[in-house]
Amino acid sequence: MERSFAKEVKQLRLGQGDTFHGEGILAVTKALLQAGVSYVGGYQGAPISHLMDVLVDAEDLLSELGVHLETSTSEAAAAAMLGASINYPLRGAVTWKSTVGTNVASDALSNLASAGVTGGAMIVLGEDYGEGSSILQERTHAFATKSQIWLLDPRPDLPTIVRMVEQGFELSEHSSTPVMLELRIRACHVHGAFQASDNKVGRFNRNQAIPEPNHDFSRITLPPSTYAQEKHKIDVRMPEAIRFITERQLNDHFDGDINDVGIICQGGLYNATLRALVQAGLADASGNSRIPILALNVTYPLAPDEISAFCAGKSAVFMVEEGQPDYLEEAINAILRKADLQTKVIGKGPLPMAGEYTAEVVLRGLSAFLEQTKPQGIDLAAAMAPVAELDRHKAKAAELLGDLLPARPPTFCTGCPERPLFSAIRILEKDLGPTHVSCDIGCHTFSTLPPFNLGHTVLGYGLGLSSAAGVAPNFGKRVISIMGDGGFWHGGVSNGISSALFNKADGVLMVIKNGYTSATGWQFVPSTLRMRPGRTTGASIEKVIKSLGAGWLRNVPNYRVGKVMKTLRQALTGKGKGLRVIVADSECQLARQRRIRPEIAARLQSGQRDVRTRFDVDDETCTGDRACIRLSGCPSLTIKANPDPLRDDPVTTVLDSCLGCGLCGEVSHAAVLCPSFYQVDIVRNPNYWDRFKDALHRRLLGDMARVRI
Amino acid sequence: MAAASENGRPIGLLIAAMGGEGGGVLRQWLVDAATAHGLAVQSTSIPGVAQRTGATTYYIEMQTLDGSDPAAARPVMSLYPLAGSVDIMVASELLEAARAMQNGFVTPNCTTLIASTHRVYAVAERTAMGDGRFDGTRVLKAARGLAQRAILFDMDAMARQHDSVINAVLLGAIAGTNRLPIPASGFEDAIRDTGRAVEANLAAFRAGFAAVERGDLVALLPDSEFKRPWRADPPMVEQLQHRVRDEFPGPARTVLREGVNRLFDYQSLAYAELYLQRLIPIDRAERDADGHGNLVREVGRHLALWMSYEDVIQVARAKLNPVRQARIRNEVGAKPDEPVRIREYLKPGLDEAAALLPGWIAAPLLALAGKAGLRDRLNIGMTITSTSLWGHFLLRLLASLRPLRGWGYRYHSEQPLIDHWISNIAKAAALDLGLAAEIAACQRLLKGYGETHRHGRGSFDGIMATLVEPALRREMDAEGAAQAIARAREAALADPEGTALQAVLMTEEKTELAAE
Repeated sequence: MERSFAKEVKQLRLGQGDTFHGEGILAVTKALLQAGVSYVGGYQGAPISHLMDVLVDAEDLLSELGVHLETSTSEAAAAAMLGASINYPLRGAVTWKSTVGTNVASDALSNLASAGVTGGAMIVLGEDYGEGSSILQERTHAFATKSQIWLLDPRPDLPTIVRMVEQGFELSEHSSTPVMLELRIRACHVHGAFQASDNKVGRFNRNQAIPEPNHDFSRITLPPSTYAQEKHKIDVRMPEAIRFITERQLNDHFDGDINDVGIICQGGLYNATLRALVQAGLADASGNSRIPILALNVTYPLAPDEISAFCAGKSAVFMVEEGQPDYLEEAINAILRKADLQTKVIGKGPLPMAGEYTAEVVLRGLSAFLEQTKPQGIDLAAAMAPVAELDRHKAKAAELLGDLLPARPPTFCTGCPERPLFSAIRILEKDLGPTHVSCDIGCHTFSTLPPFNLGHTVLGYGLGLSSAAGVAPNFGKRVISIMGDGGFWHGGVSNGISSALFNKADGVLMVIKNGYTSATGWQFVPSTLRMRPGRTTGASIEKVIKSLGAGWLRNVPNYRVGKVMKTLRQALTGKGKGLRVIVADSECQLARQRRIRPEIAARLQSGQRDVRTRFDVDDETCTGDRACIRLSGCPSLTIKANPDPLRDDPVTTVLDSCLGCGLCGEVSHAAVLCPSFYQVDIVRNPNYWDRFKDALHRRLLGDMARVRI
Repeated sequence: MAAASENGRPIGLLIAAMGGEGGGVLRQWLVDAATAHGLAVQSTSIPGVAQRTGATTYYIEMQTLDGSDPAAARPVMSLYPLAGSVDIMVASELLEAARAMQNGFVTPNCTTLIASTHRVYAVAERTAMGDGRFDGTRVLKAARGLAQRAILFDMDAMARQHDSVINAVLLGAIAGTNRLPIPASGFEDAIRDTGRAVEANLAAFRAGFAAVERGDLVALLPDSEFKRPWRADPPMVEQLQHRVRDEFPGPARTVLREGVNRLFDYQSLAYAELYLQRLIPIDRAERDADGHGNLVREVGRHLALWMSYEDVIQVARAKLNPVRQARIRNEVGAKPDEPVRIREYLKPGLDEAAALLPGWIAAPLLALAGKAGLRDRLNIGMTITSTSLWGHFLLRLLASLRPLRGWGYRYHSEQPLIDHWISNIAKAAALDLGLAAEIAACQRLLKGYGETHRHGRGSFDGIMATLVEPALRREMDAEGAAQAIARAREAALADPEGTALQAVLMTEEKTELAAE
């Protein structure tokens, strides 16, 4: 991580009487310390990366509190950490990006949930669902119910989130069950305030070690304990949890003057629901709704009596539950039928089965619900008006703007060292024809987007090579697999490389080393070179691969497209079977710029020589067929109005944001494009020799140039 | 200044931005300023992959609190913008403003739209072979039709003027609208508190603020604003310029004059004269068809471009152009005392070499290479430093081959093609001026070098053979043919593989057969 979080760390030190201002995920971090955790672990990923990043910078504070921080190499490793809370009264929390992270962690989670916990165990999950999500669309709810782990889904305002973290640990201890805290992406990034309290020191911690081990076979997940554990879940843990939830009133009730209908929503969707009500004229901004609302800050388990009590006497309730399957709607239906209540539960139908529940979606659902149920005392026409207005308005916008707007997909940054690799594959395709490309998770997944459109499958983090295992033997050409250094250490080394070598696989693996898990915010990996002193492990990806028995291993200089193509050609067409591993090693350009910009500024300040390089295009010789852009897609390589008074089509140009990586020049050579690219080196703070050469050249060339030919 | 919008809900402010524009900082400035003025404020964002140049949004709500204790009266704020309750819509780029409007976030009941009119082209626009740019005037029209108030000007240019980032100008514009219960000084303090590039940001902020107060009017600059001036007449072409004035119709003269000068500079006076000779039959044909000179103008434009086809000599001369170095120095912002080195990336291949050899060597050579599949493999990749003595000398050597161009293979293969194309246009003019114009416009396909150029030539020949010839043989009706040619030309520019063009030509052939 090339960033500092000193400012955020200050917030973590606040005490009783102070007001915390900051992001939701930082509030959770603070709440963990207020709850007296003894250990924290996790694996980075949007939207929870911040939790780990900030704690990494808070080493002093953590050692004062005796909190151990583990930057785990995978979610499985993080989840297994919670084992500390099984036998010992240690509070601990781990975090990762759900649900892909939870998939990786499931093995440990199931065993943890079966054994049950003594100390409070909490899993903080960034529920990355809907708009802006970078992962497949699934719900955490299923994991919670199948392993019987309680699921908290707090209202997205900081005081509630903090309260749920603190109460969550108590719930966990009262019911000897781990707890999941689910935060949607906007809730993680919501900026707000809450009244802080002092950080607590756990009873046992780094500075106050546990004296004795505690052997208890009933905590081991081995028969017959496992049978007892399953029974304990039903007979003891569940009832205890439900009692705690109702007694402590973890769910929020909001009364209203209309009692014919009600609304039950996941806590996380409360604000969106209320905004819909405000728009429909059924609530005011301070949260006074005319329709009663039950906001479930705990979505598993449900407290049957609480649900029945809320629904009793109502003809229908509007169920606002995001995603599918509709677990809550089904569960609540079951509860009501068992309680012999005839209240209708109406959710999916007025609301869509799939997709994020934005304020607009909820508004549309609400008016459909009202139209269907026609509750007394509601001006239906007024309540429905906003949606009709919205439709009219969008139609007008579409008419004025006309055909579809060009999309703006993410792509490799300017100067990114990963782009040239895919340029090379594309250019080589002209000769060797296309082959199957098995992608992995990371920035390099952008190869599947325009302009490269390269890649056929994405099966999971570090699984680029594994997911080719079935294709390679059944495919007419040698296939290419991609793996980043993040994916390598996350499991690619064992799931991918050792498995492929063990099975004598034939294929090409491109390992893209950029020194960080860049896509999640430049966290360090074991092979990161520039780490804080004392943290670097000096792990070498090349050595590991060799030690696993890979015979064919080459390093390539990313930006030299010609060289990369040559190596790739050898790998793809070489005789004999076997895994060919190409390691492309070049630091993430964003991280690099963040590091060297201040250095360069300082050099220029102190009058030292510095050469700035950038590229550009001659508009006179550019005839604008855009092959260069299709083979690069660099954000700084774009188009402008054609300055030639006789031509119409725009010409290619390079923006000043160019970092001079040289890819466009390399591509114009490798793909034999046009002679329009040129490199400009600007010598800043030139020395005497620079000045002399320059003066001489300018003089002589000036004379020459006067003779026009 | 509104403390809160109608029905007491908080003020909603939605920011649509792209990575690297400091959207996060803008969000922070707004939150800090609001907090400092005792407003209840909440903001959220979906950064996701925005840093990777994708589009992203930030949403902020704020409300003035009654009573002293902020915690008490805290309103419940939304994490989602809701169409119909977005009071200020900020877009850092024109297309993103369009996206916001498409999503319904700009409504006449409450929305002030603040958007920069500059363009950051999306990948689809950048990779289009012809002109794939989205029509910006549409966005302006929509803004005026949908917003309660629209503030649109080039904030990117303004930011660069003050060596700042666009977010500071946007903040200034937001403050300038007076929609927020925060005085300008409040935002300036927020900028100072961040402590980075304070002076530049303040300057940009004030410029943005003033622009709104002045009510700067938006005008998207059309391409014509960016054109190079017409070439000055060299003394030696005076007599040819007389001919342009005396023999050719008014609407065509400016273009023809440029053509003459360009071709004189490209090859010779005789070559420039040949240019006019070639246009005489076109002019005659147009007059017979009661045209007013538009055809001659268009043919003149395309003919000048074709006759000045790009070859090694032309490229070398372009690189040696004395004004070029000055232009580059100024474009990269090099200070007068800073040496600048320019390296040209050239990769001349067999085609380029053969172009200069006499036909009796070049033709068999190319045929041989073609058989051996070496035609695109025999290249010399070189980077020539044109600012060094040696590099400059090398380029001059290439440029000095100009007198020999006339003996070259390329020259001799281009001229008959040009004459055939001209005679086709002249014949077509007799049938229909529209048809003639469409045939002329096909020159647009002859672009690029090496393989790219051969591909373009392929498309050109395909259209000539499949559509133009039949039309001239009157096997198709003129107007239908004209439309078909236009369609085919667009198809040829749709994809680099030429699949779209093939599809179009196939269908046209079928319809012809059906017609016969």
